[in-house]
Amino acid sequence: MTDYGHDLLFGTFITPTAQPVHQAAELAVVSDRAGLDLATFQDHPYLPRFHDTWTLLSYAAARTERIHLSGNVLNLPLRPPAVLARAAASLDLLSGGRIELGIGAGGFWDAIEAMGSRRLSPGESVAALAEGIEIIRQIWAADQAGPVKVEGDYYRVSGAKRGPAPAHDIKIWVGAYKPRMLRLIGRAADGVLPSLGYLANGADDLTAINQHIDEGAQAAGRDPRAVRRLLNISGEFAPAGRAFLQGPAEQWAEDLAGLTLEYGVSAFILAADDPATIERFAAEVAPATRELVAAERG
Amino acid sequence: MNYGHPLTFGALVASPAGTPVEAVELARRAEELGYDLVTVEDRPDEPGLLDAWTVLGWVAGRTERVRLAPAALAVPLRDPAVLARAAASLDLLSDGRLELVLGRGGEQDAIEAMGGRRTGTDRAVAALDEAIDIVRGVLDAGEPRPLRHLGEHYRIPQAQRGPLPAHRIPIRLDGDQAPVLRLAGRKADGWSATLTAFRPAEYAAANKIIDEAALEAGREPAEIRRLLHVTAEHTVPELLALALEDGVSTFVVRADDIATLDRFAREVMPALREAVARELPAAPTAVFRPASVRAKRRPGIDYDNVPPSLAGQAVEPGDLDYARVRSTYLRGGAPGLVLRARSTAEVVDALAFVRAHPGLPFSVRSAGHGISGRSTNDGGLVLSVAAMNTIEVLDEQRRLIRVGPGARWSEVADVLRPYGWALSSGDYGGVGVGGLATAGGVGWLARKHGLTIDHLRAVEMVLADGSVVRAAEDENPELFWAVRGAGANFGVVTSFDFEVDEVGEVGWAQFVVGADDPADLLVRWGAAIEAAPRDLSGQLIMGRPRPGQPGVAQLMAMVDNDDPQTIIDQLTPVAGAGPLYQQNVVLAPYAAVLARAADGYHRAEGEPVSRSGLIEHLTPEFAAAAAELIASGAIHWFQIRTVGGAVADVPAGATAYGYRSANFSVVVMGPSRRRLDPLWDALAVHFDGLYLSFESDQRPERLADAFPPRTLERLRELKRRYDPQHLFADNFPIRTTLETR
Repeated sequence: MTDYGHDLLFGTFITPTAQPVHQAAELAVVSDRAGLDLATFQDHPYLPRFHDTWTLLSYAAARTERIHLSGNVLNLPLRPPAVLARAAASLDLLSGGRIELGIGAGGFWDAIEAMGSRRLSPGESVAALAEGIEIIRQIWAADQAGPVKVEGDYYRVSGAKRGPAPAHDIKIWVGAYKPRMLRLIGRAADGVLPSLGYLANGADDLTAINQHIDEGAQAAGRDPRAVRRLLNISGEFAPAGRAFLQGPAEQWAEDLAGLTLEYGVSAFILAADDPATIERFAAEVAPATRELVAAERG
Repeated sequence: MNYGHPLTFGALVASPAGTPVEAVELARRAEELGYDLVTVEDRPDEPGLLDAWTVLGWVAGRTERVRLAPAALAVPLRDPAVLARAAASLDLLSDGRLELVLGRGGEQDAIEAMGGRRTGTDRAVAALDEAIDIVRGVLDAGEPRPLRHLGEHYRIPQAQRGPLPAHRIPIRLDGDQAPVLRLAGRKADGWSATLTAFRPAEYAAANKIIDEAALEAGREPAEIRRLLHVTAEHTVPELLALALEDGVSTFVVRADDIATLDRFAREVMPALREAVARELPAAPTAVFRPASVRAKRRPGIDYDNVPPSLAGQAVEPGDLDYARVRSTYLRGGAPGLVLRARSTAEVVDALAFVRAHPGLPFSVRSAGHGISGRSTNDGGLVLSVAAMNTIEVLDEQRRLIRVGPGARWSEVADVLRPYGWALSSGDYGGVGVGGLATAGGVGWLARKHGLTIDHLRAVEMVLADGSVVRAAEDENPELFWAVRGAGANFGVVTSFDFEVDEVGEVGWAQFVVGADDPADLLVRWGAAIEAAPRDLSGQLIMGRPRPGQPGVAQLMAMVDNDDPQTIIDQLTPVAGAGPLYQQNVVLAPYAAVLARAADGYHRAEGEPVSRSGLIEHLTPEFAAAAAELIASGAIHWFQIRTVGGAVADVPAGATAYGYRSANFSVVVMGPSRRRLDPLWDALAVHFDGLYLSFESDQRPERLADAFPPRTLERLRELKRRYDPQHLFADNFPIRTTLETR
């Protein structure tokens, strides 16, 4: 039983499809109006069937009012960190502090390489992400003295001016599954963002994920509670319960509350591309889950 | 020197990070004031300014009309392939409002400090040159091969192209040094510069460098539009001279505050517009196509004399939109020119242009779904009526509606749904009205409510000679007879009046049944259908079983009845045609069943190979032959739709669609015409007629299969009267004389 005590967030994981052109942005608007906390888009800059995620985030942020937005997760190898940091700070300023930075070290290396970027081994990509996070944080730290100076093996940003400072403390959430990356999250990031569907043993794998993060945090002298545990989920509403997240909203709430209380998951991001599901998730699942968790936490 | 471009105005809006709302407020104000373009400075090295691309995405979400551009994007800090996709996205999201301005990105030190590569000035221009190729290459989504660029500065092994932007995004280059100017002349769609960077006469000299580089590269200097950043302090006479003598067609004023925007819009823009209009004869409004586009033109088409009403929307092979319009659902096309008519008058203009091109292939297209593939061609003309897609209720009492030929059937169903009405069309919502409603229309309600053409009460159409006529039972009745089943031979229908049916919720069923004995299944299913009440219409789809898998067939049926028990009772015998593996039955509105059209455009390649036959009964003999055909591997698609019922209530001679006694419409598709045709021809003995829209065979004898002899005779007479020159000769052309063979 691990519960890090975070308040719960509920969001959507929206396909950034380029056809129909405005579908993804409209679903962000639906998520916003439904009262969800987060709207997120995956990022595959090598796939032409999707919108460019940064452009879509900028556009969708302008069309929404209250909801926070994030990549889920942005592809660092194709988005150099210094420029990305300024872009993120810019959008955070424009949106009044509604941007979070979901980021990943890159997964589909064949496709990344085909676009002209260098293929990295798993170990290299952890090191590159660590450098990337360092650069991003230094750019954002506008009040610190001196220019940015990160002379890494993968990124060299040396002498760049700092800033702009974002409007709020942008969280860096990393999509990760493997020990080295998870320890890096414990050390340097604000959250972990895996997809439940990619976990070989389902939610049980979250125990090990948490352990690696917690170890990384403790080794770096951080409180493990500094790292939020987010989770991409998918499910289907059905009149009668059939399986995990397949059933009525009350059952969803019990399933999700279980994840919070047992594994400390505090953000549920639902893969959904239809308004009805998004609205139901916001109206029925989110409040019921919050209630169950509040009751248990006492 | 003036290059003949219309005068436009832009505003370079400030985007200070300290007051982030300022950029969007200025942009919105610029839009209100009638500026054509808003530009945002890109200085990735400067934390005092917001990231330009982010600001542009944000502004796109908060504006409606004004065009957007970075000024200028710092290419060394942006991956050009990612940038290209971002540009396509922003263009799509903003409905075609993006212009790209690319630049070298300022000081090398600052670029390096941000993690970019130091290249040296000359090599920076070479990198820019490569970046233009990459951006254009990624945006060229119509090109099937992936983008490969192995340059000195960028190495892209094989990036996928696309997405296709909403319009051809112009690429301007920003700079004032000779290498950039030469590159602009050679490659760019425009040049951007700042007036204060030039001493007197230098600007003209820069223009000359561009013009010479353009001519050397075989381009017209007019292909490069000149954009100039000015300040609000510049006077009208100064700017007028630049417009008249130096060919500047876009003036972008630097606006750090709303007062500056207002003042320039009030004091300079109208006066300059007026002065330019006075000094320059009205610039020709002809659509300008660069040499690279003209190079892809096909022979025999008088591109420069497309009727003015159509020129603005016409698409030729070099145009960006060509990828969207060249092909149809199942047929790859390469037409020489696609004319997109928006009104009856434009259809008249288009047909005049077609008449001036005798001998060229000519296709008419509504939504381009036609299985027979007749709505595109190779090297010829296509008239698309997709934009004529209105749907209106004419008379609620009589359930009379008027529909444009470009509407799609899902859209028609959606409009009718709130009235509790439906019009049986085809089985797919993405099919266009025009093609289907001139051929027949075998839909989910056919047995109960007949063919789509049986609901037709009147049409407006443009005939081969360009005359616009109405045809109905009481007006041009012969034409009205012909248009219902052979419409493609007689004109282009510009509006259809239909009387539609009251249809409430319907039963919608999908079954998977065993087909280990396909012949037995066909006979039993056929018998169940013929015995079923007319409420029920449906279809059967079968294929060759995969190795090691049992044979299965998909059965679909719609029951036009909202009583669940009645639905179940009617479905049970049909589902019992074979062992039931899966079933799904729901009560739903007709409009919800009619499958949504996939968004996006058709990308078929090659030629469809599809054969059709109408048959009265699924006899054991036919079933055995069909089973053999399925097992042969010569087809990958075997489908039977139900007709009969109300379809057969209409006398055979009442419309040009003549083979009304059939209870079933069979369609097969295969990969090879050579292999399929002999096998299918051997089945001819079982068939009485065929359905035009599913028949891709072009041999002339198909005409005799399509129409009963007396119908065909009558059609020949009418063809002589209405289209003696054979303008409409590409879709089951009826000859005015009998061929002697």
